[in-house]
Amino acid sequence: MIRALLAASLLLAAVAWSLDTARADEAKTASAPEDLPDDPARPLVQGKCTLCHTADYITQQRLTEPAWQRTVDKMRKFGTPATDEEAKAMVAYLARNFPADLPPPRSPRAPLPPGSVSRK
Amino acid sequence: MILDRREFLKTSLSGAAALACWVEIPALARAKGKDELIRRTERPLNYESVRSTFTTRITPVERFYLRNHFDIPQVDVAKWRLQIRGLVEKPLSLSLADLRRMPQATVEAVLQCAGNGRGLFTPRVPGVQWRYGAMGNAEWKGVRLKDILQRAGPKQDAAFVQVQGAERPVMDTTPQFIRAIPLRKAVHPDTLLALEMNGKPLAPNRGLPLRLVVPGWVGDDWMRHLVDIEVRADEPKAFYYDPAYRFPVSPGAPGAAIPADQMKPMTKVNVKSLIGSLEDGQRLRAGTQRIVGVAFSGEAGIDRVELSFDSGKTWTKAALEGPNTPYGFRVFRHAWKAEPGSHEIACRATDTAGLTQPEVPVWNPGGYLHNAIERLRVEVQS
Repeated sequence: MIRALLAASLLLAAVAWSLDTARADEAKTASAPEDLPDDPARPLVQGKCTLCHTADYITQQRLTEPAWQRTVDKMRKFGTPATDEEAKAMVAYLARNFPADLPPPRSPRAPLPPGSVSRK
Repeated sequence: MILDRREFLKTSLSGAAALACWVEIPALARAKGKDELIRRTERPLNYESVRSTFTTRITPVERFYLRNHFDIPQVDVAKWRLQIRGLVEKPLSLSLADLRRMPQATVEAVLQCAGNGRGLFTPRVPGVQWRYGAMGNAEWKGVRLKDILQRAGPKQDAAFVQVQGAERPVMDTTPQFIRAIPLRKAVHPDTLLALEMNGKPLAPNRGLPLRLVVPGWVGDDWMRHLVDIEVRADEPKAFYYDPAYRFPVSPGAPGAAIPADQMKPMTKVNVKSLIGSLEDGQRLRAGTQRIVGVAFSGEAGIDRVELSFDSGKTWTKAALEGPNTPYGFRVFRHAWKAEPGSHEIACRATDTAGLTQPEVPVWNPGGYLHNAIERLRVEVQS
């Protein structure tokens, strides 16, 4: 009996291990919709924009260059610490990677964040 | 491979769980997806309800959307106070115990984000790309704002009630979230300072300990973590009141800028309906399909919900369930004889004031109040 249980557990553990490995590989290769695409200006956008919000706020937008310009202007008024030169590079990156004619990404499903339901 | 007993058990159990998901045991798959939402942004928390949420009158808190401008504030409930100041005879500072001692009222009302459906506009509009699920219907319980204002005694020239919660932006240079409602809506007996949502105290992400409930009005006014009420003669000069959260007085061309003096604050939610029991692109078996969804309108009840299965050529009335409330969801049902083929299904609600959903939404720069007739496609197999 114990031997049978042991064998079954080992089989399940092996399956779990292979599934986990497969999932980790997937995470390494597939770019999630909330990732900023690689580009020389990526570190700039990552560094400035994610001070207040995650990158998924950016990657779900599909906007024309003038609309990206207005968005960056608004964020600088809100406090994004960027020089004129940096802002120009950010607008170019955003317009290049998230243009109005690119189909929108699918946002992921995720568990309800902690603190959303009262325990009392 | 040598594992200690605890590690071995843990691995075996996770293996069993993974295997259960892998073979898709329906009961386990459902349990797993039950409390899942669509994550629009991780920080701040902006999560949209999944479509299947919208088949019941009351939306469970576990499936209710989350919308935030900033991070959730840490509120010490024991030290928390609500200030009432400005154009009042007697400024007040109330504790949670003070509020609990006052008469309590309950109202059932839909909370909907102004930008629900923003992701459906063409041309596209910046902001959280909500599609269908930035809305929900709950039972709110708390103190009437009218009772608190009466205790403070608004002065002769009082006309607006400004509200602010405890949340603050990451940077001091970012505008704080401040809103205001006209005094006439503030003193309506259904306007509440809610302590409870669906029979339980507000959770941290739901506005702990107190939130404003403005039944029939758009969610931008439903301030959470409420700490400050200022009675004013004029409207606040605050970014999130002006120029943000404004809607054109009359529609402009899609994509065109609208002059600031042609924009005004939103008030009532417009009439809307959604099928919750079907997903766009779903494959179905031929035969009777039970279609379920919800309909609502700002300060009016629902007169009828009609469904079309032929691209809007003919419409059939769905059955309406339960009482007609001015602010809540009304569930509709229809047994559809699905025949093989590809079908477009549309649903259209009309409220008791006679207003109905348009074919095309009113495009606006903020992407607000999208209420066009919603269409989805299903493939019926024989």
